[in-house]
Amino acid sequence: MNLETANPGDLIAEYQTGPIPREQLALYAEASGDSNPLHLETAFAQKAGFDDVIVHGMLGMALLGRLVSTQFEAFTLTRFDARFVAVLPVNQSLRCTAKLASRAADGLTLDLEAFDSNGKSIIVGSAALANPA
Amino acid sequence: MAIDRAHLGYALPPFTVEVTAARIALFLKAIGAEDGPQDVAPPTFMKAVEGEQNSSRRILETLGVDLRRVLHAEQQFDYLGPIRAGDSVTVQRTVTDLYDKKNGAMDFIVIESTVSHAERGLLGRSRQVVLVRNPQPKAAPNV
Repeated sequence: MNLETANPGDLIAEYQTGPIPREQLALYAEASGDSNPLHLETAFAQKAGFDDVIVHGMLGMALLGRLVSTQFEAFTLTRFDARFVAVLPVNQSLRCTAKLASRAADGLTLDLEAFDSNGKSIIVGSAALANPA
Repeated sequence: MAIDRAHLGYALPPFTVEVTAARIALFLKAIGAEDGPQDVAPPTFMKAVEGEQNSSRRILETLGVDLRRVLHAEQQFDYLGPIRAGDSVTVQRTVTDLYDKKNGAMDFIVIESTVSHAERGLLGRSRQVVLVRNPQPKAAPNV
């Protein structure tokens, strides 16, 4: 899909991650400072009502952010928001998508969404991008 | 258990974070983006900056929240300028809203943060909504 010819609602970028393993959650915890055991310790996650540890919402948001950074490199990101609508268990993958939401004289906005391998929505968000200077 | 509304406006003392190139590199590795630019922080790195010194946990503990019941519900960033490798930045975090839903089954905590640089001013704002899943009240005993 060419951004120049895209209409609002059109899918303009997507990115499929591999399964997100426990080791990546440990690395993300170290890199982000988010050491909540919900993402690291199975026993703790089970006490919290999950089958196993869950992926940091912020790691999923970072993967959506990577889609924006790599596919819209020339633009300047001015706003980025996300709602974490469902949890993603460890070892699951994410499909990150960006649709054109609207276009303005000074930039554009994207609707972002990340899905699990069954197509269930995990993160819903948006990004505002300013045109290249 | 409802969160005491007296905590509304609670702010941590401002703290300083050194954004080293190594920190950005570690973050890029953790999100599988080693091929990204190394000199400028990626979009969600602001969360790692504001989370320094265990600040999120300290806020939640001050509010008396059980970590097992916490989920990150929403996150928003506004970007006013890049956070660059080598920057020394100041973080300010404040509890700006407390509300509940479903008759108190869910509490929400809104934490707003700013990241600023001594010369370049405000670099970004962050707004985080934390969901606390409260235990369901026990059914009334049979009489």
